Amino acid sequence: MKPASFDYVRPKTVAEASVALGRKGVNTAAIAGGQSLIPMLNLRVAFADLLVDLSRLDDLKVVTRSPDSIWIGALTTHAAIEDGKVPDLFNGLLKRVAGQISYRAVRNHGTIGGSVALADPAADWPCCLIALGATVRVVGRNGVRVQPVSEFVRGQYETTLSAGDIVMGFDVPTPSVPTRWGFSKVARKSGAFAQSIAIATALGRSGRVNVVLGAAGPKPRALRTVAEELEGGKSGDELRPAIEADLAQVAPGADDYQKRMHTATVLRAIRDMRTQ
Amino acid sequence: MADHPPADGWIGASLLRKEDARHLLGHGMFVADIRMPGLQDIAFVRSQMAHANVRQIVKPPEAAASVFTLADLGPIAILEAGPELAAHRHSPYPPLADGRVRYAGQTIAACMAPTRAEAEDLADRVTAELEELPAVVDCVAAMLPDSPRLFEHWPDNAFITGNVTEGDPPALQAAPVRLRRKFRMNRQATVSLECRGVLAYWDHRNDELTVHLSTQGGHVMRIAIAQSLGLPEHKVRVIAPDVGGGFGGKNRIMPEDIAVCAIAMKVGHPVRWIEDRREHLIASVHARDHTYDLTISADRDGTLLGVEGDVYIDAGAYSLWPTGSFMEASMASRNLTGPYRIRHLKLNTFTVATNKAPMGPYRGVARPGACFAIERLVDEVARELGREPFDLRRQNIVTAAELPYRTAAGMRLDTGDYVQALDTARDMIDLPAIRKRQEVGESDGRAIGVGFAFYTEQSGHGTVEWVKRKSRVVPGYESANARMLPDGSVIIHVGVQNHGQGHETTLSQIAAHELSIDPSRIAIKYGDTATAPFGFGTFASRSIVFSGGAVARASRMLIDKLKRIGAHLMQTDPANVRIEGGEVHGPSGSVGFAEIAYAANVRQEHLPAGMDPLLDVTATYEPTETGGVFAYGTHAAVVAVDPDTGTLEILDYVVTEDCGTMINPLIVDGQVQGGIAQGIGTALYEEIPYDEIGQPLATTFGDYMVPCAPEIPTVRMAHIVTPAQATEYGVKGLGEGGAIAPPAVLANAVADAFRKIGASFNETPLTPRRVSEAVARARRARDDAA
Amino acid sequence: MTAITIDLNGVRIADDVEPRQSLADFLRERCGLTATHLGCEHGACGACTVVVDGKATRSCLSLAVMSDGRVVLTLEGLRNDQIMDILRRQFHECHALQCGFCTPGMLIMARDILQRHQSPDANTVRHELSGQICRCTGYANIVKAVVAAGKDLAAAQAHALAGALAEAEALIQAEVQARVDDQVRAQEDAPPKPGTE
Ligand SMILES: Cc1cc2nc3c(=O)[nH]c(=O)nc-3n(C[C@H](O)[C@H](O)[C@H](O)COP(=O)(O)OP(=O)(O)OC[C@H]3O[C@@H](n4cnc5c(N)ncnc54)[C@H](O)[C@@H]3O)c2cc1C
Ligand code: FES
Ligand code: FES
Repeated sequence: MKPASFDYVRPKTVAEASVALGRKGVNTAAIAGGQSLIPMLNLRVAFADLLVDLSRLDDLKVVTRSPDSIWIGALTTHAAIEDGKVPDLFNGLLKRVAGQISYRAVRNHGTIGGSVALADPAADWPCCLIALGATVRVVGRNGVRVQPVSEFVRGQYETTLSAGDIVMGFDVPTPSVPTRWGFSKVARKSGAFAQSIAIATALGRSGRVNVVLGAAGPKPRALRTVAEELEGGKSGDELRPAIEADLAQVAPGADDYQKRMHTATVLRAIRDMRTQ
Repeated sequence: MADHPPADGWIGASLLRKEDARHLLGHGMFVADIRMPGLQDIAFVRSQMAHANVRQIVKPPEAAASVFTLADLGPIAILEAGPELAAHRHSPYPPLADGRVRYAGQTIAACMAPTRAEAEDLADRVTAELEELPAVVDCVAAMLPDSPRLFEHWPDNAFITGNVTEGDPPALQAAPVRLRRKFRMNRQATVSLECRGVLAYWDHRNDELTVHLSTQGGHVMRIAIAQSLGLPEHKVRVIAPDVGGGFGGKNRIMPEDIAVCAIAMKVGHPVRWIEDRREHLIASVHARDHTYDLTISADRDGTLLGVEGDVYIDAGAYSLWPTGSFMEASMASRNLTGPYRIRHLKLNTFTVATNKAPMGPYRGVARPGACFAIERLVDEVARELGREPFDLRRQNIVTAAELPYRTAAGMRLDTGDYVQALDTARDMIDLPAIRKRQEVGESDGRAIGVGFAFYTEQSGHGTVEWVKRKSRVVPGYESANARMLPDGSVIIHVGVQNHGQGHETTLSQIAAHELSIDPSRIAIKYGDTATAPFGFGTFASRSIVFSGGAVARASRMLIDKLKRIGAHLMQTDPANVRIEGGEVHGPSGSVGFAEIAYAANVRQEHLPAGMDPLLDVTATYEPTETGGVFAYGTHAAVVAVDPDTGTLEILDYVVTEDCGTMINPLIVDGQVQGGIAQGIGTALYEEIPYDEIGQPLATTFGDYMVPCAPEIPTVRMAHIVTPAQATEYGVKGLGEGGAIAPPAVLANAVADAFRKIGASFNETPLTPRRVSEAVARARRARDDAA
Repeated sequence: MTAITIDLNGVRIADDVEPRQSLADFLRERCGLTATHLGCEHGACGACTVVVDGKATRSCLSLAVMSDGRVVLTLEGLRNDQIMDILRRQFHECHALQCGFCTPGMLIMARDILQRHQSPDANTVRHELSGQICRCTGYANIVKAVVAAGKDLAAAQAHALAGALAEAEALIQAEVQARVDDQVRAQEDAPPKPGTE
């Protein structure tokens, strides 16, 4: 189980990296933590002629706070977030999500940028960042663009990234009132990818509510009807019809079991949010 | 884990393991750790299709000499595998495909290069033109007349069919309670953490083929290698270095082994193949894959009367040498009465060829399936009669007074107290407390269930049993060669193969006990056909019984000679001496082993006249009763289940078990806990599904779930010790027991959680989906009925 | 081929490697350090765990080229490590290994756990050991060994701390005494102030 041959460069700047990644006629791939890419290369289900190592670009490691948002550089590792090295202005949600992704040795290297760039429908960060209304900043040959993560992720392993694009990081709007949240996940075993993942967030006691479901369709999606009903004061089993309606939208292919499971994770995330 | 009282001798002492030090320092030596000048790696081209004719194999012209097809390997004898029964059909399994491939993953060509990565590059450049044939993937449908065939000259797809009839099955028709249930235990892999591996080269100095092989039994593998390659056995040396787990998966000769040996003979430098995890999951030994369609009969008072029905074993595409997988069906059916007084039995068994990887043994062999089926049936009868399942078990189980007991299927359950095992487990798990807790209900919406299962583990079976099974190789004995060196230290070579069981420790304890010296003065050696006496290896819970017995006998032979020499040196009669503390004591003084051993090896002028020099003896051993001794036990578990997601948490797991005398309780506990972890894997996590065209769907650990620390509870254990009568020290084997009962106990526990709605959990692994769907089905049925 | 330099178990290694070579294969095949095992090569078993720049790392999911300039520790390099010594003893005493194949990765991960958690309880250890597959032991004794090692380590550290404190106090005492002595001596030695007699 060894990868096919490839070349390797380790550019010193983001600009150099972008140029390397954009080389015409060459199948290039960025590598950050390598925790998703290397297994795929090892299994020879992914191939590259040239690997562009982003892992030492300091510009991608920045974590800063502004009055109304927090910037998380793409190379921030799951472990760094788990260890609280990123100010968690969301009442511990980031730590909670980070700490249960895969296993510690993987978290030490896997990055939030790589996770979102890969856009595995069952991955944790896309779901979480969408729930928090984050935007992603991408640098490419055509300059810089900023996009909501919910639009950046287009489908299963599909994003708006094109050749030469690099994810710089994420701007996550910080709430003026304390966030309440609930996180619920079904996986076949500890550290395995989710079969269903739901994150519910609310701004303060009565503020805006967001419920996002992952691993159910090609990408994590907000459950809008559920959010409205929640804002309208419904709770518990009263929400089932709304969940059913939203599932028809976001997980049209789901069979009975999947519907039951997704409904359960959504309800549990909401319950946990409410009890915070 | 259990608390053990301190032992006053070496038997029963929790001696810390001798094996540990090297592994703790990273000095273990596994096949992939061996470095040799000129070593090259092999990667295999494997079939992408489940069933196909191989039209053509196109080698890249620039590297043709490094690509080997069957024709390039030279003449290879294809060994007949499976039982020696005319009715068992031969399924020739070549090391590389001949004209046909019969499962996805079958080896087609071997590619050699200086590194594994380059060998894989080469394999990617080989084209195998395949003409797809219809695949057979369902073993029950495979027996229908219009099913496609794996082997054209076979009249159907069965390797072998059989039946077991005992008592008066037709009388069961009139039984007041008759329940028919179907059970499935799905296909899985054996998953030793070290995958398989083989490194071979022609050793010019010794003029022999040296094969480093990750195997459970080097001597038996040598027979196959020599026969396949047409070499005399003295020109083949098999060395098993450290072996990183086997569990049955390393106890068959595999096509890659033969291919690598054949290539080594061609190329003149060392070559190796190190199996990777994907290869392991798709093409190593597969296991279980049992389907049962059974009817149990009982009286209204709960007396179990009989079991009838069909047992299907999906054995994959080929029989693996030596024994194939025929034992699955025979052992499953012969164990289907469990420990119960069930006197009527009528079972039809089908061992069926399908386009899947060949099946081999895996810890527990057949019994996890049989235990699952019968223990689930007992619970189903209890539910039907509105009885506490525990009570029904207790009512029907063979009592201590009835032992030894011949089961309807002819197994001789020897010693123990089965009722005590049941009762102790019930008390440990506190059944009444759980029943109370269930009445209250859980605040988190989960359902709590408690399950019991009883297992017996035939172990240490010898000639009679293996001959009955028509085994090609009859592992009816083990051997030990014991040598006392001039300084009085001892080396004992044995024919079993330690791959985690701790033989270096336990066998030295036995020798220490017999020789009255410290185990640190005794080295146990194994794993090299050049030095070990012939033996069969480690499998079937046999090592402590057989090898332990052989070591005991060899030690006693040494003692006998030590006494005679000692007596001579003290000028007394051998009848007047005794052994203690590494010395021979006479009426007036003593002489140490070192002095005696020095005389025997180096200063033979001190020996009695006419006595041969050396303290070097070889013993073989077989227990007095060769049908096997039966370890047994009760498992009980409490689970909490979420009906919507189907996720399950094990809240408590207890075991009461009896493996006879324990040589080393620490190691016993480790085997029990480890076996249970694997059983939990079978019960809840591990599965290799195939799609309708025969593609395996779990080819990495991303899909194949191996439980980790959060998934496996620390098991609470109690030991009952009933020494076996037929073995040295009263030991029984125990390696497999832990793995037998978990599927049964966990399915019973989940079923108990939902007994009010009558949900059935009859298929393993009990994935969240299966659990939730079973609950939903039962709820629908209840609502429809209402 | 790409040139790399790695501080491996305290030794500077310079080599040319194929970019595709994993750190695991570099350690095993080029450097002959075979304590690091491969059980899956896709990140799921933990047998290959090593320490890179102080962090537990799957060496099957790192490329040798990416480890250029890093400090890498394998089990071979942790022979004289205090935590590893304690772990080795507890693994031995608790019977936390059978075939030994998972053991090097387990030890590295256990050490990492003890560096991040002071005297962790069994639940913490279980959670943190997730992703380290042991096929033989059923984990119970591994968990037990790590918990026990955590306690031993805390005791050793407390002991060392107490020792260090005592030592420091003794030093301070000595220092104070010395100063007092100095002062006394200074006073004694001081020439009498004029006019005081
Ligand atoms: C055993 C195992 C279990 C796992 N379980 C989970 C899980 O439960 N949940 C979960 O969410 N994840 C899981 N992961 C994945 C893990 O979180 C990865 O770390 C993450 O998905 C990718 O991050 P990375 O930095 O390792 O990316 P890499 O592997 O380096 O890259 C992944 C992809 O993103 C691209 N990329 C990376 N960084 C950038 C960038 N800055 N700009 C543009 N493109 C970029 C790469 O080209 C590549 O295509 C698991 C991984 C393993 C090995
Ligand atoms: S070999 Fe690296 S995690 Fe399994
Ligand atoms: S001891 Fe064998 S895998 Fe852990």
